[in-house]
Amino acid sequence: MKKRLLSSILCAAVVSSMLMGCGGTSQETPASGTTDTETTDTGEEPQAADSGTTSDGGAELALVTDLGTIDDKSFNQGSWEGLKKYGDENSISYKYYQPQEGTTSSYVETIGLAIEGGAKLVVCPGFLFEEPIYIVQDEYPDVTFILIDGEPHNADNSDRKTNTNVLPILFQEDQAGFLAGYAAVKEGYTNLGFMGGMAVPAVIRYGYGYIQGAEAAAKEMNVPVTLTYHYTGNFDATPEAKAMAASWYKNGTEVIFGCGGAVGNSVMAAAEEAGAKVIGVDVDQSSESETVITSAVKLLSNSVYDGVKSYYDGSFKGGATAVLTVENNGLGLSMESSKFETFTQEDYDAVYAKLAGGEFTINNSIEDGTTKDLTLEKVTVSFVE
Amino acid sequence: MNVLYFIFQQTMFFTIPLLLVALGGMFSERSGIINIALEGIMTMGAFTSVVFLNRTGGVMGGQGQLLIAILIAMGTGALFSLLHAYAAVNMKADQVISGTALNMLAPAFAIFIGRILNGVQQVQFNNTFRIESVPILGKIPLFGPLFFQNTYITTYLGFLILGLSILVLYKTRFGLRLRACGEHPQAADSAGVNVYRMQYCGVIISGALSGLGGLVFVVPTSTNFNATVSGYGFLALAVLIFGQWKPIKILYASLFFGLMKAIAAAYSGIPFLNHLGISSNLYKMIPYIATLIVLIFTSKNSQAPRAEGIPYDKGAR
Repeated sequence: MKKRLLSSILCAAVVSSMLMGCGGTSQETPASGTTDTETTDTGEEPQAADSGTTSDGGAELALVTDLGTIDDKSFNQGSWEGLKKYGDENSISYKYYQPQEGTTSSYVETIGLAIEGGAKLVVCPGFLFEEPIYIVQDEYPDVTFILIDGEPHNADNSDRKTNTNVLPILFQEDQAGFLAGYAAVKEGYTNLGFMGGMAVPAVIRYGYGYIQGAEAAAKEMNVPVTLTYHYTGNFDATPEAKAMAASWYKNGTEVIFGCGGAVGNSVMAAAEEAGAKVIGVDVDQSSESETVITSAVKLLSNSVYDGVKSYYDGSFKGGATAVLTVENNGLGLSMESSKFETFTQEDYDAVYAKLAGGEFTINNSIEDGTTKDLTLEKVTVSFVE
Repeated sequence: MNVLYFIFQQTMFFTIPLLLVALGGMFSERSGIINIALEGIMTMGAFTSVVFLNRTGGVMGGQGQLLIAILIAMGTGALFSLLHAYAAVNMKADQVISGTALNMLAPAFAIFIGRILNGVQQVQFNNTFRIESVPILGKIPLFGPLFFQNTYITTYLGFLILGLSILVLYKTRFGLRLRACGEHPQAADSAGVNVYRMQYCGVIISGALSGLGGLVFVVPTSTNFNATVSGYGFLALAVLIFGQWKPIKILYASLFFGLMKAIAAAYSGIPFLNHLGISSNLYKMIPYIATLIVLIFTSKNSQAPRAEGIPYDKGAR
């Protein structure tokens, strides 16, 4: 008797959870404002799309997400916003697909699914798509691909090839890092920190730019600057990362550039405790903590928007990698939400123009990563293993 | 001196969650049920309580809000652990497998529900719970900075629960019966103890403490909850074994782990340690090497509950 009761309760629980799941997604409205996550087939009612649920037809513009989701406040979301904006403005149907797992074969399969659904242009955000794009660019020569933050290559990286139907977009993170370091020192901070996630190329470039930006400002102001530098080795918020940030703040560090996904959140937690400051990364992180004075951002949605636009107006430049820099407004600091007191918008515009004009040369070599290959005069870097 | 206070305060942030979760694991294992679902239960406890903090963010704040969150975390943990108890006690399932199932379920659940509620898997919260300095007590020289500055109410709760655990386990009838069920359930049963009920109690207590541990882990660590507790549930299992299933030894073990973790993480900001030139990797390794060594020397007369992991079979007595 007892068992029967229990099993019926369990059944009820399973059924209700299924209903809840369906209800949740179909009733979701864009009321959440900035993080509007609906997949919209223009003219039809909103539907959430996962891989496999393409019975309703597909769309002309498709986005295949990498490990994250389209609301990850980072790559996927930024790309999705750009795609969505263009689709809405020009009444072109768009849709996103989420692979079942983060493997090359799963990505290839999902891209195939999107194309079967009628996609003419597929956006793939993240360097994990380098191999899948390498494969599908030959398989579907009539379809156009935009690859964010990577260049197509085969599995063992022995062959790199970009067909004319592929537009790889890379960012020069060192410039955004440069602006962050420059602004921090100009703001009056002389004891800085950099806490990166894994030492992947993007993180290293951010870090190197940050150091050299601080150096440039320190030279202009003729002040000595100390900078503590570390890679945590993961992209998680951990007590370790938080305790390390806390110890830096304790030791006099005034602002830390938290550059590695959730590692930044641990830095923020430590900063809240110490009453110190944080610089955010990739997207504007000012809403996540009061301590974020500014963020070094990649303007993803702009670049995806421009890429899609070029496809439709015939100026698509596939086959070669587009590098987004300050020259083409692909990077910058989030000045609107910044909490600077002495570093003004004019200062920012001035350094931005100088950087775009090529007045600063930034060493963005990613071979070493330990900052030993940088020659600095005013900035003393202590590299923490 | 300042540095000492700082390290001690940081150590507490590592120690208290480990202590709570390891104590939770102790209650379950001493009743005879292996609970490797600690990680998953922590995740669930942290998730529901952080959702509560997120939802009541603008309206409530301070210690009152945290106390309610603590109750929610414990409740969720207890509820979630019932799944494990049902599988392990009633269905006599392999306890390692059902524990693993919970570990896999928890983060998926947190992401799924988080996305339904907020649209993103990260659940943000506003930390208004830190106590800069406890009134009066914080001003005591030496002890003030050590115990009563830059702290959370949960630190004291952790020690309170430690005291209670010792009392319950060794000074009450319930504790004696619980331990008996973990050593020789057939004997306990023949003496009139309801083994199933004791094992349920053990697992539920472990769930409540682990759920609380999850909240205690997340609050000082981040500004949002991202469906993970970074393996601290498994670390707590190591603490439990290192502490030989005894509350006081578990305290020492978690203090040791906490201190090593704090030093490994914070040495770069402490001039004295930074100049020693010892690689942080060494500090990171020490707790685990120590665990291995202790296991080597104690495995012969290990204090593990004898009936641990064996589903209780009434007919076998």
